Amino acid sequence: MGDLLSGYRTLAGPDEIFAPDGTIRHAYAEFAERLRRWDADDYRARQAASDLEQLNGGVTFTVSQDQAGTERIFPFSLIPRIITAEEWAVIEAGLVQRVTALNRFLTDLYGDQRSVRDGVIPPELVEGSAGFNPHMRGFIPPLGVWAHIAGIDLIRDRDGIFRVLEDNLRTPSGVSYVLENRRTMLNVVPDLFPTGSVAPVDEYSDRLLEMLVAVRPAGIDADETRAVILTPGSYNSAYFEHSFLARQMGVELVEGRDLLVHDHHVYLRAITGLEPVHVIYRRVDDDFLDPLVFRADSALGVAGLFDACRAGNVTIVNAIGNGVVDDKVTCRFVPDAIRYFLGEEPILPNVDTYVGALPSDLDFILANLGDLVMKPSNASGGYGIVIGPQASRAELQAARERLRSNPSGYIAQPLQEFSTIPAFDGERLEPRRADLRPFIVTGASSWVLPGGLTRVAADSVSYIVNSSQGGGSKDTWVLRPARKA
Amino acid sequence: MLSRVAENLYWLGRYLERAENVARMAEVNYNASVEQRATGGDDAELWTALIGALDAEEEYAAAAAATPGLSPGDWLIFSEANPNSLRSTVSLARSLARELREHLSREVFEEINLLYLSAARAPHTAGMRPFTASVKRTVAAIVGLFDNTVLLNEGREWLRCGLFIERADMTSRIVDAKYFILLPSPEDIGGTLDTYQWMGILRSASALEAFRKRYRGAITGVRVAELLLLDDDFPRSLRFCVSALIRHFERATEATPRHQSLPAARELALLQLDMGAAEAEAIVETGLHEFLDLFQARLARLHDAMTEGIFLAVPTATSAR
Repeated sequence: MGDLLSGYRTLAGPDEIFAPDGTIRHAYAEFAERLRRWDADDYRARQAASDLEQLNGGVTFTVSQDQAGTERIFPFSLIPRIITAEEWAVIEAGLVQRVTALNRFLTDLYGDQRSVRDGVIPPELVEGSAGFNPHMRGFIPPLGVWAHIAGIDLIRDRDGIFRVLEDNLRTPSGVSYVLENRRTMLNVVPDLFPTGSVAPVDEYSDRLLEMLVAVRPAGIDADETRAVILTPGSYNSAYFEHSFLARQMGVELVEGRDLLVHDHHVYLRAITGLEPVHVIYRRVDDDFLDPLVFRADSALGVAGLFDACRAGNVTIVNAIGNGVVDDKVTCRFVPDAIRYFLGEEPILPNVDTYVGALPSDLDFILANLGDLVMKPSNASGGYGIVIGPQASRAELQAARERLRSNPSGYIAQPLQEFSTIPAFDGERLEPRRADLRPFIVTGASSWVLPGGLTRVAADSVSYIVNSSQGGGSKDTWVLRPARKA
Repeated sequence: MLSRVAENLYWLGRYLERAENVARMAEVNYNASVEQRATGGDDAELWTALIGALDAEEEYAAAAAATPGLSPGDWLIFSEANPNSLRSTVSLARSLARELREHLSREVFEEINLLYLSAARAPHTAGMRPFTASVKRTVAAIVGLFDNTVLLNEGREWLRCGLFIERADMTSRIVDAKYFILLPSPEDIGGTLDTYQWMGILRSASALEAFRKRYRGAITGVRVAELLLLDDDFPRSLRFCVSALIRHFERATEATPRHQSLPAARELALLQLDMGAAEAEAIVETGLHEFLDLFQARLARLHDAMTEGIFLAVPTATSAR
């Protein structure tokens, strides 16, 4: 009978459970007490029960490179990330601040670009950005909201401070796993939960639906607002989530072929005739939304959808064109945008970022690549990343050449020794680097889902947490404030 | 309800019912073939008859030529290359369920998913019994759970339409299997072998016990036809299926504009007329096989009329409310 928590070795970065002196951090005190009742066999049995539950429930994702559309469960670890009420209050305020500024930033960039003239961001990084959509110039979405659902990736650095790694303002995914992970935890390891102090997460779908109704086009009553979710289809890697959210909200899940645009209004092809649609929560990328305006070869979208949106007859959630502020390049300028639009200091700092498009940054990256992590500016899913300290001489040389030939295609950040959380490797607990993607829903106001998706790397060497790279996830507990005696 | 969703629910009903029927037919056949072999007879003919009734002779011949030693039972149950095998049918039902998930309850989806996961793991070596038994049980569970955990709107009616059109088709094929099993000579009609074969048909339709309750005497072709084709109370008979189809179709299309003049409604009325006028003795006299062929052709026309005239019909912009 070994205690699961004894003999745990930490990595260079901080650990969420263990303080540097080897003691258990306050947030984990009660949890650790409960976990100590288990040995490795107990853990294995619970893990098997959890995997089976997710497999039977079809809580799976489709591996995108695989043409056959193989479904897998997202590796799930039973050790949660625990965040104290005090820590969460800071994160929550920082996220609301950031999303508020980003929405103002978008309205400005597609409007009169005052912020560009005032030097917040160089003009060539706006209109030259792949995410800038010239068709959206002059557009203002209902309530001025572009990023209705934001997923902002955070890491906790060496000093214990949460920093923003990346903004996801297009179609961030993962929230269904937050809800399913909690359900699995409650079913499989109810004995690990501290007594009555973890914030629930199942409010998400109500908040989402409330937001979809709040951003309806002008002139439509709340009661008659018809919202739908638009999915690329069942072969999409996030299909489970699309279907999950439709079920949770009780709205129709549609594909492009189920919709039709007539006279700048959008309709659903129902069996009894056409029915009007007012709000579309789309999980289809901008480029595929409307073959008349974007990619003509796309069969996933709806012809005429863009014009219906610009005419103000349908609200597209998230708005078209958000890519201009959520790529890895513009991330660097968001703290300045917060200062510029809100007149406040950013509550959540960025991870230091150098962008190849700025000459001074470019020189810095070329000189220090061995200490930096270089990423393509416009890719997601953890593809194409070069980790300087782990790369060979030849790999570094190749990366420098790619950077020189296309400087604006890359950004670099110092290698972050971000925090680890234990995961079970079959025998014992091992540290895994983990990030946190909280979800912010913005309609008339912003609401932050308590916690978010904690993603963990596949092994103790890796710095990449994406599911496409074998990463897994954990439940995230936000503790409620301690009751005053 | 989206046209695509209605169509998918209809197909889910068809696949579930198909899986259940194929499982039952194969099981009965398997038992009979074991008995045949034990008593020194040849069991190959039984499988040939089943494959003939399913209109799959050519496909099986091609598969058997490509894979020497492929038994008809394995091909019908386990083959992934056979798109109509039990395993493939279960996979198809599960992909549809995944697409339809927000229209099913969690319980219904999980049952279908569990069946699929067990089908993917079902080994040939254990024989077909554990697999066919779990298919029969699970399909019954799914249909029951659907009625008890899902909002009963027109989607449920489309699922039922799929279920009953498939059941009607399958029952007609089960009866027709008798046509493909040759008796050694005309004198054998009414003999022991003939009776034994009709008994197999009844078992394949889960109808042997119902037969015993309905009739006191011998198992004859006319009586089997009467029970499986025309009985108002036996839930797998053609007449029962047609009545159920009409009922569910009417409920499914209640809100559809001009639903009484839909081509599918006309096809259904024709089917009802055929069934209303039919008498077992006359059918057997003029040719059971011919009657069943015609019936199957009518079902196919009904299916096409629903697909073309309802699921794929392009609503015109002027019908927007």
